[in-house]
Amino acid sequence: MATDEALVVELATGNEPALCELLRRYERPLSNFIYRHTAGRDVEDIFQETWLRVVRQAKRFDRNKRFSTWLFQIAINLCRDWHRRAPEEASADPKESADASRPIDRAEARLDADALLARLPEPQREVVILRYYHDLSEDQVAELLDCPKGTVKSRLHNALARLLALTKEDKP
Amino acid sequence: MTEATDRHSVLEAHAGECAECRNDAAALDRIGRLLQSSVVRVDVAALSQHTMTLLRPELSRRARSLLVRRVLTATLLALLPLPLVLIYDAYLLDAFYQIARLLLPAAIATYLVATYVAFLGLLFGGTYAAIPLLVARRATAAAASGE
Repeated sequence: MATDEALVVELATGNEPALCELLRRYERPLSNFIYRHTAGRDVEDIFQETWLRVVRQAKRFDRNKRFSTWLFQIAINLCRDWHRRAPEEASADPKESADASRPIDRAEARLDADALLARLPEPQREVVILRYYHDLSEDQVAELLDCPKGTVKSRLHNALARLLALTKEDKP
Repeated sequence: MTEATDRHSVLEAHAGECAECRNDAAALDRIGRLLQSSVVRVDVAALSQHTMTLLRPELSRRARSLLVRRVLTATLLALLPLPLVLIYDAYLLDAFYQIARLLLPAAIATYLVATYVAFLGLLFGGTYAAIPLLVARRATAAAASGE
């Protein structure tokens, strides 16, 4: 079975089956990551833009790097751009914007994991998603976010402390 | 990168380092349950299908431009030694003409050389025309074997 890195080389030549295989391997983790980063909004746009960039930049892919790291770095940058572009919308309650017509049980909505994640500052949210949902080690998260391991540790610590405070606030 | 299998280990590790969370295990457990309850509502298959549809023209554009580049490179590389080959052929033809003129009437010698020049022209033309065709065929075969 071809490695991800070999498939990227194929992809640079416009090989469609290579893209199909990479999509098959990463569609779920990548869409989950984007979903949690943006609280389920504009997932399709960011997902497609990520792959478009992968295809366009495949020729410049550094073979010494892991493809998954590169892919998620592209997605993280796009998610960051998304948050910068629409800061007000991004901080809105995702449940309300996802389906405005649906009557929302406030207690349920306030205790929703996505809503909680959305209330974390972006650097902390990234660390929680990568560490908790994608099961990456602190070293891997540090490599992905291009920051020291200590920063990852402190962000995770602060994020969990903030989540703890938020759940206490929301406790009925 | 896969979805977490042992998500509680992250929280446990945090509790080990954070006195506040260690003292409030119930709250930490609540966070764990909340994070665990997060459900991703994305139709992954449709998402990938839409992405493929979107990227297909980009891929064929890349494949086409790569093919054009390969053909041009191959043709240019093949053209590089051509001046030398032509000079050498001209030298040989001149020598052949000189010898033919000693043995045959001038008209026949000229006819023989002209015929040979025409034959060489055809040969070169055919060879250079075949280069892009062969490169394109090879690239197509490679793409097909990749599938």
